Amino acid sequence: MAATETKRVAYYKGCLASLSAKELDTSTQALAPKLGLELDELESVTCCGAGDIHEAEPDYYLHLNARILAYAEQTGADTLMTICNVCTLNLRQANWQLKNDDNLRARVSQNLETVGSPPYGGTVEVKHLLWLIAEGDGYELLKQVAHKGLKGLKVAPFYGCQILRPSKILGFEDPDRPWSLEAIIEACGGEPIDYPAKIKCCGFPIIQAREETALGELIQPIEQASEAGADAIVTPCPLCHLSLDAWQSKLKKATGKDFQMPILHLSQLIGVAAGLEESELKFKRHVVSVEPVVTKLEA
Amino acid sequence: MDAKHDVLVIGAGCAGMRAAIEAHDAGADVALVSKIHPTRSHSGAAEGGINAALGNASEDSPEEHAFDTVKGSDYLGDQDAIEILCDEAPDDVYQLENWGAVFSRTEEGRIAQRPFGAAGEPRTAYAADITGHVLVHVLYEQVMKRNLTVYEEFFVWKLVEHDGRCQGVIAWNLLDGGLTTIGAKTVILATGGAGRLYTGTTNAYACTGDGMAQALQLGIALKDMEMMQFHPTTLAPTGVLITEGCRGEGAYLLNSEDDRFLKRYAPNAMELASRDVISRAEQTEIDEGRGVDGNVLLDLRHLGAEKILERLHGTRELSMVFAGVDPINEPIPVRPGAHYHMGGVDTDVWGRTTLEGLYAAGECACVSVHGANRLGGNALMETITYGKRAGAHAAEWALTNTTVEVPASAAADAERELNELLDRRDGERPWSIRNELAETMHENFGVFRREEQMQRQGELVDELRERYERVVVDDKGQVFNNDLTQALELGFLLDLASCMIVAGIERKESRGAHARPYDFPDRDDENYLRHTIVRWVEGAPKLEWKPVKLTKWQPMERKY
Amino acid sequence: MDVALKIWRYDPESGERVLRAYEVDAPEWACLLDVLDLIKDKHDGTLAYRKSCRMMICGSCGMRMDGRAVLACKERMKPLVDAGHVPVISAMGNMPVLKDLVVDMAPFWSKIRAVKPWLDPGYDEVAEKERIVSQQQMNAIHKESLCIMCGCCVSECNSMESDPEFLGPAALAKGFRFVGDVRDHADVARLNELNEEHGIWDCTRCYFCNERCPKGVDPRDAIAKLGAESIRQNVDHDMGAKHAKWFVKSAETTGWLRETELVPKTQGVVSAVKQVGFALNLAKHGKVPPPFPPHVAKDVKEARALRDLVRMQGREGAAGIVQGEHALAQIEHVLDADPDSAPASRIAPEKAGGKSGGD
Repeated sequence: MAATETKRVAYYKGCLASLSAKELDTSTQALAPKLGLELDELESVTCCGAGDIHEAEPDYYLHLNARILAYAEQTGADTLMTICNVCTLNLRQANWQLKNDDNLRARVSQNLETVGSPPYGGTVEVKHLLWLIAEGDGYELLKQVAHKGLKGLKVAPFYGCQILRPSKILGFEDPDRPWSLEAIIEACGGEPIDYPAKIKCCGFPIIQAREETALGELIQPIEQASEAGADAIVTPCPLCHLSLDAWQSKLKKATGKDFQMPILHLSQLIGVAAGLEESELKFKRHVVSVEPVVTKLEA
Repeated sequence: MDAKHDVLVIGAGCAGMRAAIEAHDAGADVALVSKIHPTRSHSGAAEGGINAALGNASEDSPEEHAFDTVKGSDYLGDQDAIEILCDEAPDDVYQLENWGAVFSRTEEGRIAQRPFGAAGEPRTAYAADITGHVLVHVLYEQVMKRNLTVYEEFFVWKLVEHDGRCQGVIAWNLLDGGLTTIGAKTVILATGGAGRLYTGTTNAYACTGDGMAQALQLGIALKDMEMMQFHPTTLAPTGVLITEGCRGEGAYLLNSEDDRFLKRYAPNAMELASRDVISRAEQTEIDEGRGVDGNVLLDLRHLGAEKILERLHGTRELSMVFAGVDPINEPIPVRPGAHYHMGGVDTDVWGRTTLEGLYAAGECACVSVHGANRLGGNALMETITYGKRAGAHAAEWALTNTTVEVPASAAADAERELNELLDRRDGERPWSIRNELAETMHENFGVFRREEQMQRQGELVDELRERYERVVVDDKGQVFNNDLTQALELGFLLDLASCMIVAGIERKESRGAHARPYDFPDRDDENYLRHTIVRWVEGAPKLEWKPVKLTKWQPMERKY
Repeated sequence: MDVALKIWRYDPESGERVLRAYEVDAPEWACLLDVLDLIKDKHDGTLAYRKSCRMMICGSCGMRMDGRAVLACKERMKPLVDAGHVPVISAMGNMPVLKDLVVDMAPFWSKIRAVKPWLDPGYDEVAEKERIVSQQQMNAIHKESLCIMCGCCVSECNSMESDPEFLGPAALAKGFRFVGDVRDHADVARLNELNEEHGIWDCTRCYFCNERCPKGVDPRDAIAKLGAESIRQNVDHDMGAKHAKWFVKSAETTGWLRETELVPKTQGVVSAVKQVGFALNLAKHGKVPPPFPPHVAKDVKEARALRDLVRMQGREGAAGIVQGEHALAQIEHVLDADPDSAPASRIAPEKAGGKSGGD
């Protein structure tokens, strides 16, 4: 079914979607036209810095994000679409700081121009794909597009942290009672599974430096979703995805429990409901096999 | 005795902590006792600032500060004590900054000072509008640095007198239960005020006048008890404080006719007149029908968002949460609320009370530096300067005296009395007595006072005292039984109310916060340039008088 | 108005833990604390909770409402009553419960003391007057100085839940209050201690602390400032610091994160070798991109030049975060004025998503 109206957005895919989470990019790009989104992919950009450059060299971090925003503005679109929680927080925070402080904006924009980047004008708004399709026209389109449907698949939403908090910067939904993923799961014909840890941290930021602590966090959503009968977990963040999927095996070592819980990117969840091919979904790249889900849906 | 110390400080707000630090640095073994964690103390709610003639905003001198204070006190303040306060204030403030207090700064990087009520020069050193919070935290940091012993969440119930000296306290251990006896060579009361006597009060729940009532029980003199300051800008109905700092930054007070009514009451100082003058003005406007739902309006809009967000962000938050008003866009409805008790335990300029070994400092004391009305910013200064002095003197005394003795009977008697209360099954819950006390005090002993009303209030309090004899505590447990401690606090409030009313009736003039416009509208220096002194004698308050100390200034007409 | 709520009661003397329902008639302006007072006065005097100032400055009344730490004196009840919502009140998390809503704050205070929370000016004598410090310099620690030690940030700290020895947001924010105070001269010693285990690099960046803090302290940002100062002062031996520095290196060399090298750069070669089995498994699924050829972003020269340029502009370390605080302070002001831009109401029953908010 073709989309009747397309919205052109600047598309910032972030580091993981470029490399280790390529499946996120391929599924997003394949899904976009069906959701009425024309993606203008940004190339002259860098890593948004995650929490790391924010912590290591915050002034540089501000400039990197300002540069991404500046290049996004150059496309003429009014929206910069992200597909990662962390990128969303970083870009929105930078955007806010620059828009609301004349001196800061002047200095940063001048620096951008000095190195040959476009200046920062404050004309784009940063939105995660999740927000574009959880309500309004995007949601209506989504419902139409997910025609193959999830056939009652039990899906546990995992929001993670930085798509919700700090809410004064993100502000799309109540940080303690979010609903967007559930709405999307339902629109795709799935059954949302509720559990307390859906808004807690997956531990990714410290999974290398403090593995034990991180695993103590990571086990919560996986175990709770499993006990609640979920067939899969869906997440809007590739960093969470990496923890939940790639590090799931470490949980077995630490706790003896082998959850085998498939973890889907948001775009894959919708994608599979919309009938995307494996070449676009790239489930085979996942560490925890998504086969059980595929089998259930083909049944 | 469960423990003993050289110096025991009761109350860990600014005065208590400052006293403890000083006593420790003088070499004494010090301990603090507090029914709440030190940083929860109500000193932390002070907002506008602390006064000292630093001279950072304009040319200033301790003498000018002293004169403003004397005049502000409506000449009831003891001038020797005031001079000491103003002389020592600058160094005491520098000490706080040296310890790391986060003051706001001038362009030159010095401690910033703002104009405040009844001050001739801008001398109120401030930290945005959270000065008390900043001072409480810097003092607690210094307490932690010295690793001082703190009996945290111990509710002091009684002072122990033995051999003509105060030798310790009996306290209820809130966390584990049970009574504890702590002996000390010297005891410093730093327990704050008693705003909880009133419904509309800026005071915390903890401000129940404990130390004053405990001293009263030992027959110690309380001075100027009738002098309760009503802060002009508090939020209805609870009395949450909106700082004078707003007016220091230029806010206006308006009535229902959008009129800056103070031009009719204090044409020179306007919004920066003395607090009692403004409270009376507001009450008059409200009583005469020019209020807005029982309030007047504090207008900050012309200050602009930037200034408000920078210097008055605490105020904005309070206004939004408790009054539903954003001062950037709307004026704040305010009215007078019970705020600060000028009266308290009678002390000399070293904090000594009439009982050897017992000191008092801060709001619970009455030196008197504030007389019949306190200047904004002077209370914090008093806690520091007089807290320091009491700590120094107590340490010196303790280090030259070796004995501490607490008779076993003290603990046994207390235990018996407590069990009697705990065992009682039938009776009245404290809340009905407490609420009635606060409501009637608000009505009959507020900004304006009248003979008949005060008399009636005295009788009402007597009735409430009788009902209190049968008060019942629900919680009979040991762990965190603040049902018990709140019942005991009510007892303190009732005792203090009786004292205040007797003093109020006997002062047959209007002076400072004691305003009797209907029966004694004028100040009468000839007969009443003296302090009221109340002692508890045979179960009732007995009144005497004490002269005011004049040094440099003779009483003059007080106009703003 | 009729206010209904449920409270998790705990009696230490009997060991009983039970959820009780209450209903009281409260004035329309009542906050949660006022409702608790009414319950304690009129229904059950054994209900235990801390309180004092009732105006959000003493920090006594931290507790959980629907699983989220709040100051009881700050939470107005009318919106809940209007929405027909019955909140569940419980004690703060991550701290042992003494009785009902009273937690044992001793572990909290001992972590505060552990950061040596007093000014260390490097000399003993009292200066004659105040030290000259500009307002701009003091602003570096403005937010941290707002902390009222209520414990709300600690209550939902995800890292502390997993590792109870984590110093936590309140202690670390207090740490920055001194590291960032220009009058304190023990920076390096402090940073070294805070870089130890259970310190700065244990923060999982869940941002619950920022979200819960009722005073706008933003402890997570204070922790980031500590990290920034650590790296600026070359106190960077911790894996967390190395991890962070590698992101910078990546950005200025290839633009995109050089993921493959992240593990050895963070954890060191020896540890990386131990992880080989794990890494091979990841590699099987293409999750370990080959380091060669490097994935270089377009126009990455600009990113390199940017780094050199900004480093000369004096906003290094924590200053890079402090500079943005002026704008962030405007957020609430702007959002409050524009209801459409505010996040969805705390209680939007038709949209609310179940379990995560409750106990």
